[in-house]
Amino acid sequence: MSSFKKKQKKIAALSKSITVSEERGCIVLRGEADDWSTVVKAGRIAVDRKKYYGVVNNIRLKGFEQSIRLPAEHDDCYDGAKPDVLIIGGGLVGCAAARELARYRLDVMLVEKGSDVAAGQSSRNGGAVHVGINYSPSSQKHRYNHEGNKMFTQLAADLDFPFERTGHLMLIGAKWEKILINVLLLNAKRLKIDGARYVNRSELLEIEPYAPSWAYGALYMPSGGFTSPYKMTVALAENAVANGAKICLNTAVLGMETEDGRIRSVQTNRGRIIPRIVINASGVYADVIAEMAGDRTFTIHPRKGTDIVLDKKVGRYIRTTEVKSPITVIGDGQKLSLKKRIEMIRFALSHENTSKGVAVIHTVDKNMIIGPNNLETPDREDITTDRETTEMIIREQMQAAQQIASSDVIAYFSGVRSPTYEEDFQVRKGIFCENILEAAGIQSPGATAAPAIAKDLARWTVEYLEQSGPVEKNTAFQPIRKGVPHLNEMSESERDALIKQNPDYGQIVCRCEEISKGEILDALRSPLPVYTLDAVKRRCRPGMGRCQGAFCSPSVLQILAEKRDCSVEEIRKSGEQSTILLEKTKGKSV
Amino acid sequence: MNYDVTVIGGGPAGLAAAIAANKENASVLLVEREARLGGILKQCIHDGFGLVTFGEKLTGPEYCERYIDELLQTDVSVKLLTFVTRIEKNADGFAIHFVNREGAAHVQTRAIVLATGCRERTAKQVFIHGTRPSGVFTAGTAQYYVNLMGELPVKRCVILGSGDIGLIMARRLTMEGAEVIGVYEAKPEPSGLPRNLYQCLDDFGIPLHLSHTVTRVFGDERLTAVEIAQVDKNMRPIANTEKIIECDGLILSVGLIPENELAESIDVAIDRRTKGPICDQKYMTMEKGVFCAGNALHVNDLVDYVTLSAVEAGRNSAYLTNKPRALVHVVAEEGILYTVPSVLDVNEPVSDVTLYFRASRELRNAMLTLRVDGRAVFQKKYSVLRPPEMERLKLNFAQYGITTDSEVSLSLKEVE
Repeated sequence: MSSFKKKQKKIAALSKSITVSEERGCIVLRGEADDWSTVVKAGRIAVDRKKYYGVVNNIRLKGFEQSIRLPAEHDDCYDGAKPDVLIIGGGLVGCAAARELARYRLDVMLVEKGSDVAAGQSSRNGGAVHVGINYSPSSQKHRYNHEGNKMFTQLAADLDFPFERTGHLMLIGAKWEKILINVLLLNAKRLKIDGARYVNRSELLEIEPYAPSWAYGALYMPSGGFTSPYKMTVALAENAVANGAKICLNTAVLGMETEDGRIRSVQTNRGRIIPRIVINASGVYADVIAEMAGDRTFTIHPRKGTDIVLDKKVGRYIRTTEVKSPITVIGDGQKLSLKKRIEMIRFALSHENTSKGVAVIHTVDKNMIIGPNNLETPDREDITTDRETTEMIIREQMQAAQQIASSDVIAYFSGVRSPTYEEDFQVRKGIFCENILEAAGIQSPGATAAPAIAKDLARWTVEYLEQSGPVEKNTAFQPIRKGVPHLNEMSESERDALIKQNPDYGQIVCRCEEISKGEILDALRSPLPVYTLDAVKRRCRPGMGRCQGAFCSPSVLQILAEKRDCSVEEIRKSGEQSTILLEKTKGKSV
Repeated sequence: MNYDVTVIGGGPAGLAAAIAANKENASVLLVEREARLGGILKQCIHDGFGLVTFGEKLTGPEYCERYIDELLQTDVSVKLLTFVTRIEKNADGFAIHFVNREGAAHVQTRAIVLATGCRERTAKQVFIHGTRPSGVFTAGTAQYYVNLMGELPVKRCVILGSGDIGLIMARRLTMEGAEVIGVYEAKPEPSGLPRNLYQCLDDFGIPLHLSHTVTRVFGDERLTAVEIAQVDKNMRPIANTEKIIECDGLILSVGLIPENELAESIDVAIDRRTKGPICDQKYMTMEKGVFCAGNALHVNDLVDYVTLSAVEAGRNSAYLTNKPRALVHVVAEEGILYTVPSVLDVNEPVSDVTLYFRASRELRNAMLTLRVDGRAVFQKKYSVLRPPEMERLKLNFAQYGITTDSEVSLSLKEVE
């Protein structure tokens, strides 16, 4: 039986109402299902990396309609714009691509449907800079992660965003589990990952003094680190704008006009844009955008995860990023049968294991983050949290971070990952459309990979545009960007000198995070100023501490209103509808 | 600069402590992070303050103004808009590092009075789930918007938690034209003072729903609705009791937490129950030279008690000696949530100790018993005791012959 027939049979066994076909080099699924897990299962069965471009899973979920959060704005302020490059999506990949392209004398336009950059996954993840030890050598994840990881030290220095290379740890609970580490170390050798090694318990305690009591040893990977994914996105975006790129917020792509395998125009809520080439960096909507261009060969199946932020007081219990090995079972580990152990190792190394495991992460702001979990969901924008999940994560992570208590929780949030069924990135030139580049299927390790992905996207863009004339280098390109200073990390004398120059640096607005008025004003003086509470929070952290803005949000509101020269009622939390203050209590006209 | 005493925080506790230390001829510095003195009282424009200390019903601003006026008559140095960034222990006491609009600097002090107040528990700390819309405010923040900025943050709201600020905001928002649909309390009994239940809810026809909590919030941008559910004894939501209430605001009054990040930074031992430093009858923490008063020590129900504790802390901070301490724990036994102080220094006078305590649950006809080495030395009967109300006792421990080896305990039992 051919592999296609086999898949057909397997899927038929799953549901009679699903049809399977081969079209344009893709395997296409159609029909309707009663539950989402059937849709995902069918998509997974259909995968054949060698034979097809990818799985196009068009199975509808009965009763489900995606509600898309669209900006309130409707005008024609970008109507008729003719950029050389139109980037769709203001996440890490889109902003990194915009900055890469700003190295050329090109008209670069980026549209983002949210009210700020980093509105999706880029602000909703733990910020690990990955090592990538478990990827297959032929995967794009490996290629871009490997290259991206190496770029971080320089990029963080150039763009002044936080990055620390503290190493990552995978903990094991018993001697036999070293087998998994040995297998991974062999893979590390193949992948040319430097420095990874096994450490025993006493070596582990030198790296991580508060490692859990059950940890027998660990795989130590010194090239791992962590960043602030949203500060990194803002840094890339600001530097792109400073070098001439245009970033259009609250701008959503609604459709495309194509002709003979070419995108002629892109319809947005703010007018029709006529780009020469389009870069699809639209995250959870990447397949929808690709479909508009007639270039869809893949499907995004949203995978939700929740992260929990713990108080700085417990931040000191973690220096690196720790995960429990996927085969470690705390407590009962010794009793497993050999067969069960082999099964677990096999699963840990297989493609079906899409998770790196729930982690304990030290953040750039000295908090601790625990999470995230994995949950397949039909809703691409479901960023809600729920009690069961957070309780489960806390319970599970108390094993790895034995000092934490649920009273240390200061915040939690969910994000939606955008994997394809192939569980790999789809970074490529258009196959059925000549003027589109796809950057799809980007999830973990997307933050690490983004700088490397952006380089390829920029190179391909230039190659394409050069077909119709030379593309010149932007000789004025300034790679250095200065971020908002962090006064609470400075010495007293340094801080004193800065305050003497600008007294606003001496006026603390956010007591929990020790953020001054000066730092907030600096954030608003950026090349990409955004006047919402959330945007200020992302840029310099007021309201991210243990009081969650209870004390400082009135002050931040007033600073924003003063700076924008508007009333406090006009300031929003994030989107246009997210009002904070509704009306004056006195002096209303009746 | 050198000071005998540095008071951190210019609210009611800090003001009273600074004045008291000054009266004992100590050189005093008061550091306040905001532009004006008075702390949270600035926004508490309702009355009821000062019944114990002045025998009058004052508003918050009136109450603190009395202390501010008195302070300004003294030679206490006051630094406003000044934020303490770090405290460093040294041979002569402590270096207090701070920043303000003039720069970053430090002063040297022999003693510290921590009067840093408390903060509100947030939506995340009571595990409210769902989306992350605007329109969710802690009661204190809502109070700031309404009373200090003249802005209405909600028009139709639900209040979660029956703490005093929540009750007061229910009335305040109603008077400003907002609709308060109801106050929901997860516990089976209200958290606020009875007088606030009558004056803020009953008088305005606002319903109080006990054993109910908010389980979810809705709305992608602004809050559009909340889900309410009944809870069981362990405060877990009961399935199928959920109800959706459309509203544009959720006000939280779900508890206060003493702010002790500075105390913790110099390893001051914290009481797990009060979340404030463990201290002796002189309000000195377990760190020599560091005193604590007011809501930073434990959350008080009346500002009058804040003031009284701060007067003691301030006065004692002026007389710092090198005498070693001999500490005896006051063990909180059955029926007692906590006591303040929780330790006694028997090398210092114990003849006039004010002991504050809270019952761990609602008790009727309860007998309070103070035991020394197992022997009941003092008893007092209470007809009703409720955890929200703090009780105060004047005790002469000297007459009980307490020594370093004594076992001192306090308990509450219901009697016939």
